[in-house]
Amino acid sequence: MNSEYFTSSAFLVPLIGGLKGFAVCMFGLNVGVILTWVERRLRGMIQDCIGPNRAAIPLPGKVAAIGLAAGPGLTAAAAVLGVAILMHVQQMDKSTVGAVFLQAGIFMLWMSLAAISRAVARDGAKNAVEEFVLGFGSPRAIALTGVATHIAFFALALFMDVQGESQAAFIAGRFWGGALLLAGTMAVSAAHVAAQWWGEKEVRITLLGLLHPAADGVKTAFKADFVPPNGDRLLYNLAPWITLLPALVLIAVVPFGPTMCFQPVAGSLLPDLAALTGIESVGNRCNEARLSLQAVDLNVGILYFFAMGGTGIVGAALAGWASDNKFSLLGGMRAASQMVSYEVTLGLTVVGALMVYGTVRIDEMVLWQAENAWGIFVQPFAFFLFLTAAIAETKRVPFDLPEGESELVAGYYTEYAGMKFAMFFFSEFIAVVSSSTLMAALFFGGWHLPFVTAQGIDIAWGGVSHYSTQLPAQALVALGVLGFIGKILALCVLQVVIRWTLPRFRYDQLMRLGWRKLLPASLLNVMVTATVILAVQSASPEAQQAIAQLGQWSMVFIALSGIAAGIALVVFLFVPTKKQRLVVSSAARFAEMMGGTREARMEA
Amino acid sequence: MSESTHAVPEVEYSAALGPNQVKGRVVNGPERNAAVQGYLPEIIKGLGKTIGYALRNTKDMVLGTRNDPVLESISDGINTLSYPEQKRPYPERFRGVHRLTQRPDGSPRCVACLCCSTACPAQCIHIEAGDYGGDKKREGFERYPKRFVIDELRCIFCGFCVEACPCDAIRMDTGIHPSPYDSRDQFIYEKDLLLSIPGRAGEHLTENPRVERGEDGYPGVTRDHGH
Repeated sequence: MNSEYFTSSAFLVPLIGGLKGFAVCMFGLNVGVILTWVERRLRGMIQDCIGPNRAAIPLPGKVAAIGLAAGPGLTAAAAVLGVAILMHVQQMDKSTVGAVFLQAGIFMLWMSLAAISRAVARDGAKNAVEEFVLGFGSPRAIALTGVATHIAFFALALFMDVQGESQAAFIAGRFWGGALLLAGTMAVSAAHVAAQWWGEKEVRITLLGLLHPAADGVKTAFKADFVPPNGDRLLYNLAPWITLLPALVLIAVVPFGPTMCFQPVAGSLLPDLAALTGIESVGNRCNEARLSLQAVDLNVGILYFFAMGGTGIVGAALAGWASDNKFSLLGGMRAASQMVSYEVTLGLTVVGALMVYGTVRIDEMVLWQAENAWGIFVQPFAFFLFLTAAIAETKRVPFDLPEGESELVAGYYTEYAGMKFAMFFFSEFIAVVSSSTLMAALFFGGWHLPFVTAQGIDIAWGGVSHYSTQLPAQALVALGVLGFIGKILALCVLQVVIRWTLPRFRYDQLMRLGWRKLLPASLLNVMVTATVILAVQSASPEAQQAIAQLGQWSMVFIALSGIAAGIALVVFLFVPTKKQRLVVSSAARFAEMMGGTREARMEA
Repeated sequence: MSESTHAVPEVEYSAALGPNQVKGRVVNGPERNAAVQGYLPEIIKGLGKTIGYALRNTKDMVLGTRNDPVLESISDGINTLSYPEQKRPYPERFRGVHRLTQRPDGSPRCVACLCCSTACPAQCIHIEAGDYGGDKKREGFERYPKRFVIDELRCIFCGFCVEACPCDAIRMDTGIHPSPYDSRDQFIYEKDLLLSIPGRAGEHLTENPRVERGEDGYPGVTRDHGH
């Protein structure tokens, strides 16, 4: 009853726990490293400079053409055709896959046509294919036609009402047409890229600058391991670990997806995904074996998070003291006092959320939000307080006073170099990831997505269900995990944007904000929350019914905002940028004579 | 009536304005209303601006429609030259790194007259002259530089050496500036290096023709005529 999967086996529990812990650590490390790239990339885009692009794998043109374009492209095309033929031979249902093939084929077609057309408009046509594409019109026209074609085929499939033989013919035609279109476009566009690379002497693979953090990691590992001669050798070496490890283990108590219920299979050692019977929700607990998607199932939940989060700053304070440097010491002391100031706010802010959810376990908090409304609607004020305090806890701009360059050189890690410096650096980014994880779980519904229930999709508002369908438990788990990771990434990017927008506080302003504004505000939040909870509990059943419906409307609001954001993005992509041509200086006149300043094309 | 209330009050010319009678203009500080003091609305506005710039520039990069930073200025947006990936073209008469021009047979045009090293205000040119021993056409008439050294770190790129040269043997039309090196001796450019640097169009000769003594069409006094 309610036991972890196969608790009877003394061998499996540590194995599954270890696997989950490894996955969580890898998630923290990788997202942390990618976040360093996001931060540099975003800076490049905000300030209109190139950003990280120097790390590259140079490949000879012919190798790149065969290995990176022609090879994978032709393999993918062959795979599509293979799947199609296999499905035909096995007499499987072709309607869904056929629709996917067709839409993917149309997408590939207009994307590659638009890309080629853009390149031709920039560099001129170089071969017969490009001459041919030039006849289709501008990239914008191609893209708009492509989107219109998507919608047209979708509407055709939705509204066409054919029966009997003609329906079978339609499905078969869409299946084979879609498969051939997809495979053909893949092959032709891969061949086009390969043809361009074939003549190049060298192709630089930069992956949009993603290789840059990797190169930095390798570089720091080989740098000199410097220890200040008069510093405390032991503490100096210990400090980066004390900073890095707590940041990494923070996310162990956060559930990354719904808890899965299994039908135990006799004789099987590992959980059998086919025996998945469902996922847990508030009124529906597993009564057989269960497998939660959090590394450690602690009953103290969020308290563990605060305990570990507070430990990270000890590393900074130790580093400051052990470095035998005035600036380091000042930075370490600033870090310690900042931690003390903002940890109070952080804790008190969560008290309001704890009162609403009635639990300290994060998985139960997520279940509460899935049942009622996301935390941001229940505790909106607490979210902003928590975000502020969390940024101060991770020591990032605008609260990065412990490392304030303008007055403290580099603060507590002034004397650190090489991999030890990199550990401080990465722990900062990993702390961003873990605080985003906690925020997503506390205020943004964790793995819950609007209208996704424990059984499937149920679009309901005003107490009435408008559309509902069943989904297999595997799909629900996948949706939950992907949704949660998406929320974490969005919150990480929000913190990076804050970092590139706000200037640093002065130290007295920081303390004043912490003690005289945030702390009273969080206390006030607790009082107001308590009053509202009492009021709701003593309200009439009709009023409670109305509040429950408000929760449903909040889901409608989230879904509508998501759709509106998607539409806004598409519109933004198609609206042309207005530009003026203005040749001002003598250098510009000379540049115009020479045909522009673009000696190298701008790319990441 | 309303006009007078909105007008900036005229300041009387007086001793308080100083000797030049400079009138100041009142610049009001930012307004302090509830929205500004509330801090959050202004922060959200700022975040929006940041995201807007990032999205617009990302779109321009992905679609390949970034403006040419020197040629164009855009009405809204930032205009940055991404050096060294993008370079501002140097004007035609930009004085870059020196080169020693060659004769058609590949030997230096320099005759080691020391005019350039004499004209050089930074004293960064060192020439050791040598004799064309055994070459009957040139022996006794002209010398050649056994060593020709320029300290590019000392050079002030004034172009006096180019002006002083009677043979058009030293030029600064390469269009490149000295690369950064990690030690001083790498800035000492020797004769072979200077001879190998081409001009802007990749040429090692100059456009001024020069027919040397002993070659067909030599305009000057020959050995038979003169001595």
